[in-house]
Amino acid sequence: MKHTLGQIFRSPKFLVGFVIFMAILLLVIIYPLFVTDNPLGIIGQGTFFEPGIYVNVYDSLRSPQYILNLDNAAINRIASRLGDQERQDMKEWLIEYGVPEDEIDIDDTESLMELWVNNYDSTIVVPGMTAAKRKYYVRLDASLEGILATEGFHISVRNEETGDLDEVGYVNQKDYVNVNQVANVRILPLGTDNFGRDMLTELVAAIGVSLKIGLVAGLIATMIGLSLGLLAGYIGGWLDDIIMFITNLFTVIPSFVLLILISYSIGQEQRGAITIAAVIGLTSWVWTTRAVRAQVISLRNRDHVNLSKLSGHSVLHIIVADILPYIASYVFMALILQISSGILAEAGLSILGLGPKTTEVPTLGLMMNWAMIYSAHIMGKWWAYFPVIVAIALVSFSLNLMNTGLDQVFNPALRD
Amino acid sequence: MLQAKRGMAVFSNCQSIGGAALKGYLKYFGGKLIWFLITLIFAFLLNFILPRLMPGDPVAIITQRVVQGMTSQTGIQKVYEEYATLFGTNRPMHEQFFLYVRNLFQGNLGTSFSQYPRPVADILKSSLGWTLALQLPAILVGWMIGNTLGALAAYVKKGFDKVLLPASIFLSNLPAFGMAVILLVIFGVQLKWFPTSGGYGFDMIPKFSWDFIKSVILHYQLPFWSIVTIAIGGQAIGMRSMSIYELNADYVKFARFLGIKDRKIIGYVFRNAMLPQITGLALSIGTMVGGALVAETIFSYPGLGSTILTAVMGQDYPMISAATLLITLMVLVTTFLIEILYGVIDPRIKAAQTD
Amino acid sequence: MKKRLIFILSLVIVFSLLLASCTPAANVEEPVGEEPAVEEPAEEEPAAAGVDLDAADIAASLPRDETLYIAGLQWSALVGWNPYASTNNNAMGVSAGSSARVPIWETPYMYNMINGEEIPLLADGDYTWNDAMTEITFTIKEAAMWSDGTPVTADDVAYTWATNVKYETTAGVGYGEYIETVEALDPQTVVVKAKLDADGNAVNPLLVKAYISSEYVVQKAWTEALEERAGFDAAALKEDPAEDFVASGPYTKFYNDDQKVVFVRDDNYWGQDDSMWGSLPVPKYLAHTIYADNNAGFLALKAGEVDVSQQFNANVQDLWLVDGLPISTWMDDAPYGLTASLPTAYYNLKSFGLDNVAVRKAIAMAVDYDTIIANAMTNQSPTFAQVPRSVMNPTAGEQALYDQAAVADLQWVGSDIEGANALLDEAGIVDSDGDGWRDIDGQKLSYNAVCPNGWSDWQAAMEIVAAAGEEIGIEITTLYPEWGVYQTVFVDGEQTEYDIFMVWSDGAGPTQPWGRVRQIMSSEFAGTQGNWNGNWGGYVNPRIDEIIAEIPATADQARLIELYTEATEIYLTDIPSFSLMYRPDQFYTVNETVWTNYPAADDGRNIPPMNLLDGYSIAGLYGLELVP
Repeated sequence: MKHTLGQIFRSPKFLVGFVIFMAILLLVIIYPLFVTDNPLGIIGQGTFFEPGIYVNVYDSLRSPQYILNLDNAAINRIASRLGDQERQDMKEWLIEYGVPEDEIDIDDTESLMELWVNNYDSTIVVPGMTAAKRKYYVRLDASLEGILATEGFHISVRNEETGDLDEVGYVNQKDYVNVNQVANVRILPLGTDNFGRDMLTELVAAIGVSLKIGLVAGLIATMIGLSLGLLAGYIGGWLDDIIMFITNLFTVIPSFVLLILISYSIGQEQRGAITIAAVIGLTSWVWTTRAVRAQVISLRNRDHVNLSKLSGHSVLHIIVADILPYIASYVFMALILQISSGILAEAGLSILGLGPKTTEVPTLGLMMNWAMIYSAHIMGKWWAYFPVIVAIALVSFSLNLMNTGLDQVFNPALRD
Repeated sequence: MLQAKRGMAVFSNCQSIGGAALKGYLKYFGGKLIWFLITLIFAFLLNFILPRLMPGDPVAIITQRVVQGMTSQTGIQKVYEEYATLFGTNRPMHEQFFLYVRNLFQGNLGTSFSQYPRPVADILKSSLGWTLALQLPAILVGWMIGNTLGALAAYVKKGFDKVLLPASIFLSNLPAFGMAVILLVIFGVQLKWFPTSGGYGFDMIPKFSWDFIKSVILHYQLPFWSIVTIAIGGQAIGMRSMSIYELNADYVKFARFLGIKDRKIIGYVFRNAMLPQITGLALSIGTMVGGALVAETIFSYPGLGSTILTAVMGQDYPMISAATLLITLMVLVTTFLIEILYGVIDPRIKAAQTD
Repeated sequence: MKKRLIFILSLVIVFSLLLASCTPAANVEEPVGEEPAVEEPAEEEPAAAGVDLDAADIAASLPRDETLYIAGLQWSALVGWNPYASTNNNAMGVSAGSSARVPIWETPYMYNMINGEEIPLLADGDYTWNDAMTEITFTIKEAAMWSDGTPVTADDVAYTWATNVKYETTAGVGYGEYIETVEALDPQTVVVKAKLDADGNAVNPLLVKAYISSEYVVQKAWTEALEERAGFDAAALKEDPAEDFVASGPYTKFYNDDQKVVFVRDDNYWGQDDSMWGSLPVPKYLAHTIYADNNAGFLALKAGEVDVSQQFNANVQDLWLVDGLPISTWMDDAPYGLTASLPTAYYNLKSFGLDNVAVRKAIAMAVDYDTIIANAMTNQSPTFAQVPRSVMNPTAGEQALYDQAAVADLQWVGSDIEGANALLDEAGIVDSDGDGWRDIDGQKLSYNAVCPNGWSDWQAAMEIVAAAGEEIGIEITTLYPEWGVYQTVFVDGEQTEYDIFMVWSDGAGPTQPWGRVRQIMSSEFAGTQGNWNGNWGGYVNPRIDEIIAEIPATADQARLIELYTEATEIYLTDIPSFSLMYRPDQFYTVNETVWTNYPAADDGRNIPPMNLLDGYSIAGLYGLELVP
């Protein structure tokens, strides 16, 4: 046993898979200890906030301010609102309006702005311009307001009694705050999803739940597969026929369709995470049964088994003591594969809308489902779905790598 | 020793089917046929019962659609009863079952609830074509490429193998929708190389024109490749294991010592390794309909998978029953055929029958 | 031996099944006239004279600059063209209702949901009531013609009504309790007579008026042919796919299959006469690709394959703000569209504690509506600060019908946790057993918030309602049953399974806002079974019933405002339900890659944003231009 374990851990593939899997597991366990927020808590008013560092504006006005003289601050400021594309568009509009082309220098911000402010009129209808383009120019004009200003902002508070604005502060264009000194700063490494939830926290919780579901489903499937396979393989005869018949029946009815039907039938109310795991387990034990049965059949005529039979040991004793140890490694590998496919099956179900209750637990499939419903993949909100895919792939990849490694240890022929 | 015997059987496969072997073969065939028939009956029953076990009332769904804007209670009740009688949902279950079977044998699969009064056979016919066109080539191509790569890896070993195995494992483990979404986003939305949805161009009408066929092929690419890449991964791993196993078998070493050319040996080796893969292929073809479900949903491809999903969501009993029956039949038939084929290809079975 | 037994047994079973199938068919009706929906454009006979279908000229693909692509109406294959049928699944062509779709079949009047006007289409000029408000009279335009060249006459209108009644179509049953007859005084004049109650007044004049802008006019001759073909059997008549229809609209059928539906313009359309539009609609083809789901349609809109999209596209503004595409909605800023209905959360008044108005008001006050609108609707709805809550929708027409100042202090904005807590404390509903939840007489207040599974924006809203409950000490958990289950429970007037549940409300139409008031609060629906009409919580208030009875017969504007204001006041005081957001009847997003000059909020044409097909919005088709 110890020797086998040593061999297992020396196998490179197993090791790599194991490391990845452990890393994910540790993340799932340790992260919630540091970040205690409710993974399903809605923190954003709005959908799909981009990943980044969110600084409370109100608090930053109240934080200590420092003056920094940076060379390109003004250029950055202008460029963020007036990029190359915008300059080109302004030039186009001005030409349409009738300003001679050689008077327009798009690199000279001041003269361009002067021409623009003097000539732009949102009520003018340029023939052939689409409504969308016209609205774009209106928005552009509004966004360019005050772009060349050098004055800062005045901060005022409304006076309760008089209703006037009393000035309480002034912000210069050179004032900076230190993010560490602002009272409320929230880092959202993966932004928010469509509900306004913190993606990273939700993702970690979801991986945990999916792992749990996979484990339960895998265990159930392997248990059923193991018992049925042992019985069918060892006892044989009519029991074998019946079990094989049931197995064939399950093969023939598409398991995914069965899964969908059952999932739909038990209704949303009962569809907790564990129930789904049980349902997945109950529909995917087929190939384990077949494989175990094949192994057992080849084992049952071995010498040591015959010896036990002659010695008068009971059937149960023979199965447990003589057959089980020989297929243990095989069963363990099957378990790993079942866990992996259980996770994928749950993800598949959730994506179709038949997974566990959305708002009790987050699962990987559910997160994908919501992201797709709110068209995240179409609108380029990659943080809402891509990390989920990577998480699923990594989990199942690591499990399968471990499985391959084990395979190589138990079947020396496959070693490279 | 067992392996040597098998090897001999392989070498001497020119031994024709003798009289005794033929009788044994028929017994084998007969056994399979029995199983086939029994499973068929059970499948019938299950396919009928399962959808009807789903809670909810499909007639109420249709009624609700129809009575939008109506405010008269009696009117609504009347509409409901009309539909209930039409669909026969107000009859006891066993009556409905016999009706169903009778209609089935007359070739009538019923009328769909959700697309009333469109007949189910019509809906199935149109979506089945698309699914077959998408899945069959995808499975076959994935199978061929995957097996070739797997066999090569087993034979060549060294560097090629070291790269192929992890890559295959990773590919085969990407969830189907993951691959589909990634392909969609990268090639469809960002690079705009391929169209993002549908079976053919949005401005086209099906005709046998070159334009139309080109459009179909273009729309075909992304769903096709999303299925193939994952299939390749799976097949490569399986074939590689089997090939390695075979390559280390005694009879290969024996043949090498005899001086037989490597190329000839390889032929035999891969023929042996191929056997379980063929079973896998059969199973894939049989279950291909369900497998395409996710790809069809994401690419909005008009196939059987999305039809089934809509049917389930809309509680369309006839549709669900018909679709699952179709899938069941396909799996049964292909499995049956493969088992027969197996009996022909695998000499061990022949040998088992003769002694 | 055993195997042989099994073999024989299975053969026997199979044979008996075969035998069973040979018996004569029982009384299962087979739909008559079952025809496949696929047609060949090349070989089809022109459906009616006047439509030039030289399909040989038409390439295998539709010319992009003559086709307008619409998305979001048709989600599966088209079934028929029969205006009498209940389920045609012909979203573009046969869809009667408050804003009836009029490219193929036409109604006498077109409803404009922006201002509530009814604009004559087949009718000539406005309609008039008689003094007793029991009859409506209108005339038919002289120019109005069917596609076979015969004129549209009052006889057609009368015969359509008679057919609706005789065969109990949706229209016939729906309006049968309110309209007595429709008669043709002379070939051009129609009189619609209302059903009278015991006092000799019309039972419901509003619904009588609604009929003439909501239901199609069908040719008498064609109807008679249809009746004969159907053997005068109601079921057969309603199931007939009516491929040979004769209609009066500007478009007719061209091609349809599983993937798309195409209409082609009838260049002999009568409406090009000066008495109507004065020209033909601009696009020669109206095409609708059948997308599998929202995302497919959204992708197509982005790619320029769809011109007009009736879909809820989340964060649609990113398409022009971030991607710079030539896509616009009705308005440039939030709420982006013209909202017309009020998705509402109903209280089941039989649930423990919900019969107490303090509980109802507290929950309604505490909900964070801003987050619902920002997250679930991605800002495609005005907030309750912008359009204070009432029973009216945000359109100018309806908002003018009540006195906002009079009820201003009843109109809560939401997220008022303090106020809700104070309200409950005052009412004496506190946590007396220390378990963290308020209780009444020792029983904890605990409810479920329900909506159908898969309706994403509603689900998000329910989440937020549940979160509000937690803030004020009332336990609310969400529940999302499948649609098939949901709609068997909530229509049962005696159900006790759902406590707080979401249902849609009526949108815009000629009978609104009266129809909505009735839907939300009329006691005629309370406690009934199979109730698709309204008042699912079982609210009973005699005063409201009086108001509901009085409004349809009232013509005086000032009196109407009084009545509606009172109705709003009662609604906001008793709170039998509360609206969660505003929602458009039809979403409206347009792509200017090929066409331009779509109706927009600020263009002064007052064409409603109803995908250019519904009611008066069809006027948009006549003003389209190609992008140069």
